[in-house]
Amino acid sequence: MAETTSTADSNGVALRSSIDRSLRHPVMFFFTSGAAWLAVAIVLGLVASAKKHAPEFMNWCSWLDAGIVDAAHMSALVYGWGAQAAFGMIIWLMARLSRKECTNVGTILWAGHIWNLAVLGGLICIMSGNGSGVPWMEFPGGIWIILLLCYFAITIWSLVQFQVRDAGHVYVSQWYLLGALLWFPWVCITALLFVFVFDGNAVMATGIAAWFKGTTFLLFFLPTALASAYYLAPKVTGRPVYSYNLALFGFWALAFLGPWSGMQKLVGAPIPQFLPYAGAAAMVLILIPAMSVGVNILKTVAGYGEVVAESPSLRFTASGVVLFVVYGFLSLTLHLVPSMKMTQFSYSGYGLDILGFYGVFSLCAFGAIYFIVPRITRREWLSHRFIKWHFFLSLYGVASIVICAVIGGMTQGQGIEDISQPFGTMAERASQYGWGVTLAWGFLLVANLFFCLHLLLMWARLGRRSSHPTLLKAHHAESPHGPEGEVDNIGSVSA
Amino acid sequence: MTFKAFIFGLLATFGLPWLVAIVIPYSAMRSLEPVKFEEGSGVEGVYIPKRDGRVTEGSKIYGQQGCATCHTQLIRPTYAGNDVHRDEWAGLRKSADNPDTRRETLAMDFEGEDIAHIGMSRVGPDLSNLGRRLDQHLAGTGLSPEDWLLRHLYNPRGIKNYRKGTTAIPKRSSCPSKAGLFNETSSAGAKGNALPVEIRDGRAIVPGDKARILVSYLASLKKDTLGQPLPAALNYNPQAPAEEK
Repeated sequence: MAETTSTADSNGVALRSSIDRSLRHPVMFFFTSGAAWLAVAIVLGLVASAKKHAPEFMNWCSWLDAGIVDAAHMSALVYGWGAQAAFGMIIWLMARLSRKECTNVGTILWAGHIWNLAVLGGLICIMSGNGSGVPWMEFPGGIWIILLLCYFAITIWSLVQFQVRDAGHVYVSQWYLLGALLWFPWVCITALLFVFVFDGNAVMATGIAAWFKGTTFLLFFLPTALASAYYLAPKVTGRPVYSYNLALFGFWALAFLGPWSGMQKLVGAPIPQFLPYAGAAAMVLILIPAMSVGVNILKTVAGYGEVVAESPSLRFTASGVVLFVVYGFLSLTLHLVPSMKMTQFSYSGYGLDILGFYGVFSLCAFGAIYFIVPRITRREWLSHRFIKWHFFLSLYGVASIVICAVIGGMTQGQGIEDISQPFGTMAERASQYGWGVTLAWGFLLVANLFFCLHLLLMWARLGRRSSHPTLLKAHHAESPHGPEGEVDNIGSVSA
Repeated sequence: MTFKAFIFGLLATFGLPWLVAIVIPYSAMRSLEPVKFEEGSGVEGVYIPKRDGRVTEGSKIYGQQGCATCHTQLIRPTYAGNDVHRDEWAGLRKSADNPDTRRETLAMDFEGEDIAHIGMSRVGPDLSNLGRRLDQHLAGTGLSPEDWLLRHLYNPRGIKNYRKGTTAIPKRSSCPSKAGLFNETSSAGAKGNALPVEIRDGRAIVPGDKARILVSYLASLKKDTLGQPLPAALNYNPQAPAEEK
């Protein structure tokens, strides 16, 4: 980008545009392959859920046996879709916020391809009955090492960009990104060593696997989603973040609570008794960071209801943030000591997981994708109807899964605790709600078809050539995004 | 907030729980004190839960096949749940033949397993005491727990395919079949291992290696050692002192 212009603003435009150009291949690669894995994960989720209430469903295929398909479903969702969406968000946000072009595109792309192959290999191992057999860490040990190496090859450049950035303001988003980047390897290496390498007590190994599951969500996926929310809310509305101190408080509250979570799954197991209760306490208190982020982001966009409704990225992001607050309340309810008895071994934990992973993380990731993709492809989204369908079906699907799983889980848990009833009564109660969950995955599948198709069209560079962003209303009026929100066309051909 | 303060904060907020909740408990759990029988109970030494079966391999297959998705192996103390009171989940109640052997799950129960399959949810019943439950139910039927388990794994609701006279598999179960662990072979090649299943003439269903190992593991899941008393410290319902009898 040799073009030098006189004003600072067009300098900024040129810089942003060159950052976007430098990152377009890896970011598009992560988003499109992530979306494809999301479709796979949803189909697997549908089968897994159907098998809970219709055990004969697809019985002819031993690769889709109950239990196996559950593990494959969560692994594809977390490592196929979640991790890749997070990589795309991390490398783009960090480059933009540090104002540095990416110079290691080749390495990132290579590592991205290997990541996809490793996830595929891991899923084949799980489905052929050759996984690790460790709950929540079902990929075999070798796959984990490949994934970890790819992780470093993909994200290390973002740390470097942060280090060599021109001195200046550190944005709220950057704290969350840095946190996510540093926490994940620490959590992952700890879990791999203690579960797969060291020879210790079997119950403690299970506890550490549960801790791995809890902390990867709270300390990797959630911070990435919040980084995107703290970036998009001020960016699209053109206002500063409502309160810097509240943001600081919310971040450190999450950093303080996150590492304790996970072992609440082991209440009553023969491990030191404080561990599960520390986990449950962290999950109860998670409402504190949820409220501070929720208040902060919603106050930032307050009064801009029309913008939130019309901008696809902000609509998804704001919904994700609202669902984070819901997650906080639900987590509090499910992890209080009286309810732990009923929720520990019921569906309701699955409902909370899906609310966190799909409701909070994935909605924020969709928001980021609707913002980032037009900038790196220099095309606008084709159809506001596709986006609307994607939004409503996603929201409806997530809400149905969470409500069915949580209420079904509570009745199921109540049935398990009620020893005056035979165990079978509980199973019958739960299966009614299982139908609801299966239907809801069907809604998410349709939602994701709209999303996948739309993203593939953008990837094929078939988007609209326009400087007006696609807004969620019938006609394209002038942009509410302001100059920052528009696709910068400078330098696309001439430079 | 400077970068140094930020890194220091991350180290402090993450490092402390990492030490306190992971590293120290992990080291502590590597050497657990076994429970001794109390003096005057008539039994010497320490209590060791006994199981025989292919525990290590079987536990791995149990995990790989995803059994832990729907089955738990955890009898929680009463402060955390009612598991002890479920019939035969935690051990056998007092009867003419045996003392009350119900107890909570111990870390020692998972001896020989790489990972403790405490389980994710209870779509099916808890399996902590499965082996002993089957012993009780199959007593007098001539069917071994292993054979029952093989039939159950092949087809949990499979009455219609089973030859006449082979009952003992409950008709209603939401457990999916694990037919993938079984092979079809010629009747001559089955050598007495064939399941009593009607398929085409001259063909038979035999369990594969994984099915055999898994069944051996499942039959070994016994939370009590029949005929042997529990130390009073572990027994949920210890015997009353002699003078009150």
